[in-house]
Amino acid sequence: MSTESDDGLLRSVVPPAWVDQLFARCQTHGWTLILISAVVGALPPVFGLREGYVMTVLSEMFLFAILALSWDIVGGQTGYPSFGNMAFFGIGAYTTAILVKDAAIAFPIAILGAAIAVLIFAAINGLIVLRLRGHYFAIATLGILLAVQQVTRNLAIAGGASGKILFDVPPGVVFYYFFLVVLVVEIAVIYYLTQTRFGFILNAIRDDEGKATAMGFNTTYYKTAAWMLAALFTGLAGSAYGLFNTFIDPQTAYNGAWNVELIAMALMGGTGTVAGPVIGAFGLHTVIEYVETAFVGWQLVLLGAAVIVTVIGFPKGVVGTIREYANEMDYYERGGMAAADSEEPEVTTDE
Amino acid sequence: MAITQFVVNGLLVGALFAAVAVGFALIWGVVDIINLAHGEMVMLGGYTAYWLLSIATGTAEGSVLLFLATIPVVVAVLFVVGYALQRTLVSRVIGTDIFLTLLVTFGISIAIQQLAIQAWTANPRSIQVAFADPSLTAAGLVIPKMKLVAFVGAIILTAILYLFLQRTRTGRAIRAVSQNPEAAALVGIDVAHTRAITFGISSAVAGGAGAFIATILNIEPQMGLIYTLKSFVIVVFGGVGSIPGALTGGLLLGTVEELTAGLVSSRWTLAVSFTLLIVLLVVKPKGLFGTEANE
Repeated sequence: MSTESDDGLLRSVVPPAWVDQLFARCQTHGWTLILISAVVGALPPVFGLREGYVMTVLSEMFLFAILALSWDIVGGQTGYPSFGNMAFFGIGAYTTAILVKDAAIAFPIAILGAAIAVLIFAAINGLIVLRLRGHYFAIATLGILLAVQQVTRNLAIAGGASGKILFDVPPGVVFYYFFLVVLVVEIAVIYYLTQTRFGFILNAIRDDEGKATAMGFNTTYYKTAAWMLAALFTGLAGSAYGLFNTFIDPQTAYNGAWNVELIAMALMGGTGTVAGPVIGAFGLHTVIEYVETAFVGWQLVLLGAAVIVTVIGFPKGVVGTIREYANEMDYYERGGMAAADSEEPEVTTDE
Repeated sequence: MAITQFVVNGLLVGALFAAVAVGFALIWGVVDIINLAHGEMVMLGGYTAYWLLSIATGTAEGSVLLFLATIPVVVAVLFVVGYALQRTLVSRVIGTDIFLTLLVTFGISIAIQQLAIQAWTANPRSIQVAFADPSLTAAGLVIPKMKLVAFVGAIILTAILYLFLQRTRTGRAIRAVSQNPEAAALVGIDVAHTRAITFGISSAVAGGAGAFIATILNIEPQMGLIYTLKSFVIVVFGGVGSIPGALTGGLLLGTVEELTAGLVSSRWTLAVSFTLLIVLLVVKPKGLFGTEANE
């Protein structure tokens, strides 16, 4: 953003070149960073933090990071911003709840069943919505979310509008580790994919789907694969959430506000990056959690305001904005053309 | 016989859906934005009428004339709200990524909805309009008078909007901006102002419809998104920017919903509407009326 690049003081204290080097370091030591984060994340319960408020909040932060990162596979990397990811979450939650409560199936197997159900749903759903683009895609995904919510509300086995209460759930620490493991696996998978041909093709679809098709890639295959990957992780998070929360109803399982929340997280952190959505999820969830306890009922007002400010103020997010700052050095190192290439076109408004 | 009754009920409600959808279609056509906060304008319109009536009578009840007297105020208030929203927030994302425009209007939608819950609680409310004899009976059909008033009101709102766009200078400016913003600017039209006016009148018509909705259905802070999506169904059906298309779509959607409610169960109406949306998007994304009927 121009305000930062004009700031001479900032540049003398933290030269863009340093930031650029930091990015390069992170890139070369990516796997080490992921491993260190995983170990650090696994430590709190070992040192006695096994239940209580902090534990719950940390588990929720991992949960939201999973959701935001899953959204970003399709929304940020592939350029199909979905407003209906919570449909996967809800189907995962409900499948597990029904299997555990009505079929008396053990929790781990129920989650496996939920994953299969979500994947089947995503395959059918993807066939329909991935043919659409832009406004139509966004609204179709939102429509599917609400349609699934309404259908669930009317199903007797799902407990109708009053939902399902789950008893005899495993202790909180189990879910802490479950969410952590899913998150780490997801980060690793996405990090790996961004370095492969698969990841590059997803980005090509985002940048120009017509050209990607013209180059001979079966874009439908890649889009659907990304969509199902996102669905799998979102569904896994949802399937554990029902038990973690001990209660689900159509309103919480297919929570439209959460859907905006997880998009906001990805956007604030930086879409199309691996670290961005995770940073955004940790940051925004901390703020929302604080507001939720300090000013009861105002957290969604804050969410709405935060979304507006992010979209208008810095749509590239934390990682994107910092990277832009780092890329300033391109101008000196590679000449004007490289810098011009990396620069985003000016936002045109009619005001 | 029962089916005829359902169809009549559907047409009566459908006119209100149509009045909401024409504004949505207008913003989409002229400003090229899917306004996900459009349903909130319906909600705000309903609440404005509710509070005006409460101030005037002490309760949210009154005669038809008193209720109708609130409509011009509602329309004026919502015009200002829509104009201000476009000028201050939405204009900043015009011309950027579609996704960002969707997200900013979604953010506005959530903020308005949640502020409404804080201000007025989440309880559903409705306006009671007193009639000596609440329904008409004709050829075996029962027609509640208030629904008839709402139907006529919605048609009049839509007709005024149509005439405004066709006959006035501002209306022509709006159509010009919709066709080609650069050319419109070249001939001296203030594009930013015209877009804000468009937002204003779309919100005003939605608000007016919201006031009528408050008399025959309920209003609650979280009602907005459903109306936004219904508008989307109607616009996709009728074609972007087509007022006759939106009117047909609205009447049809109302009929489908009432038939579902009558023949199956009212619990399935929303599921049917949203499924219809998805089917329409896949089968006929350009709308049945195409873009030739562009206003």
